[in-house]
Amino acid sequence: MKKDLKQKSKHIYWNPYYGGFLLGILILFTFYLTGRGLGASGAMKSSVVSIIESVSPTHAEESNYYSKFITEDESPMKNWLVFETLGVLIGAFISGGLSGRIGWRIQHSPKITSKRRLVFALGGGILFGLGAQIARGCTSGAALSGMAVLSTGGFITMLAIFGSAYATAYFFRKNWI
Amino acid sequence: MGPLIPNGVIPIEWDNIIAILIGIVFGFVLEASGFSSSRKLAGVFYGYDFAVLKVFFTAAVVAVIGVYYMDYLGYLDITQLYVHPLYLWGAIIGGIIMGVGFVAGGFCPGTSLCAVAIGKIDAIVYVGGIMVGIFIFSELYPLFLPIYDGYFYGNVTLEDSLGINPYWFVFIFSIIAIAAFVVSDMVRKKVKKIFY
Amino acid sequence: MVKKKIAKVLAFRYKILAAILILLAGGLVLLPKYQKHEGIKPEELLSNTISPERYMTTDRLAHILINQDPSFILIDVRDEKSFASYTLPNAINIPLQKLFDEGSVSYLNQNQYDVVLFSNDNFYADQAWILCNRLGYKHLRVLKGGINEWFTTIINPVKPAENMSASDFELYTTRKAASMFFGVVYPEQVKAETPKVVKVAPKKVITIEKKKKAPAEGGC
Repeated sequence: MKKDLKQKSKHIYWNPYYGGFLLGILILFTFYLTGRGLGASGAMKSSVVSIIESVSPTHAEESNYYSKFITEDESPMKNWLVFETLGVLIGAFISGGLSGRIGWRIQHSPKITSKRRLVFALGGGILFGLGAQIARGCTSGAALSGMAVLSTGGFITMLAIFGSAYATAYFFRKNWI
Repeated sequence: MGPLIPNGVIPIEWDNIIAILIGIVFGFVLEASGFSSSRKLAGVFYGYDFAVLKVFFTAAVVAVIGVYYMDYLGYLDITQLYVHPLYLWGAIIGGIIMGVGFVAGGFCPGTSLCAVAIGKIDAIVYVGGIMVGIFIFSELYPLFLPIYDGYFYGNVTLEDSLGINPYWFVFIFSIIAIAAFVVSDMVRKKVKKIFY
Repeated sequence: MVKKKIAKVLAFRYKILAAILILLAGGLVLLPKYQKHEGIKPEELLSNTISPERYMTTDRLAHILINQDPSFILIDVRDEKSFASYTLPNAINIPLQKLFDEGSVSYLNQNQYDVVLFSNDNFYADQAWILCNRLGYKHLRVLKGGINEWFTTIINPVKPAENMSASDFELYTTRKAASMFFGVVYPEQVKAETPKVVKVAPKKVITIEKKKKAPAEGGC
């Protein structure tokens, strides 16, 4: 009986308006406390920078881009966004654990194979990482937090992301529907 | 008078602890809203699930209304908040690339982290992909420099660049959001249901 | 029965929420506009102004100068001409007209030092103090009586009459000693044939760090 209940709650998510309301309050609270918005891809950038720095310090120093984020005494991992991302992992783990969603699996449409899903995930990730650097922010950092303060850059980024996603959705339909 | 940490009301040493706490709530809300599922996220582009649109716009509207009320009541100084800078073509080109990545991979960075936390292998691959993307960008940095650093308009808000009253804009923005919710519900009824 | 009623209300819940949202957003448009004023509230300014703590006596200042306390900065708010003719040791000149110039604000708006403002009397220093205090600058004080008071108490102390209390005499000796430190020569001292040596306090180098204000930085 209990297992049955857990099985059921696997696909029961919060009402989107409720989640959105809480997320909005959280953004407001973040601005009130720190004066900045939320972010996600910044931590991955820090990770890349610190990996490169440890693998090839000279290369990291010579590169114009990495050297921006390397300071003499502090590791690039000692960054607000890295700590925030750690929190995201913990929070998502707690939520997933409470409703029994934890487990190794690959989620994909029944029409495609797992391999295809992983290839597309990798390609999508590469594109997103590249785009997030060019636009200086991802959906949470630029679009969501930018919209909360009516930043023009945030609105343009948001429109560009959703615009191009809708425009290209047709070509990827087999992956999802 | 906020923001509290930049103004020294809360000592700067608390910054990282607060970061973790905020992150925990952020991750919890995203996961509980179903953002750890790529098929749910992608649903917004095919019309079978509009959770992304609803959560995203509700959050933006609530936050922006809250920010302006707090500014009005004097709890928060809106001029001290970080405004995402506008690099016009960087934002457009970057956004277009991100959009394609979003449909192809089914995640955005924040949601992929949530999915990693609950053990989705595709999300782990996706995060790896993001890192590769950042790596490619860094290596080809000189090539991207003109759009990365060019067309800079400063840390502008819509008030600066369009000259509209922000209060009116917030009002119109929330009406647009509500209209989008209504339309999305109508679309969803017409589209074939998909179970995932 | 009650359940039915609740269900009826719940059927409209999204409409109700949407209405609340529009009301809140519309509230922003309809709220009466007001001029935001920078700085602290008038009430706070009043209580700061009437607090006696904002003054520093000349005796206390003399003590600080003699001990060369590094945590104090003196700021002369008179014009350049008066500053050139006479000023207190190690004072910085910020004329009242230039109070909010780029270079001056870093001396006034900081957390490192205690700042003592002075002019010929209280008047200009008080004005400068009020202006700065309204903007929320901290650690500012006014030299009570200004340079005039400095002359009558420290440089040229009045010898107390015979019938005055012992504490007055004590104060006089301290002040006299202080004045000697600042280079005043007394007749009984001349007898000892020492040529007047003006003790020049080593010029204090004042470096001001920019007020620590963590800039709000970006997301991703």
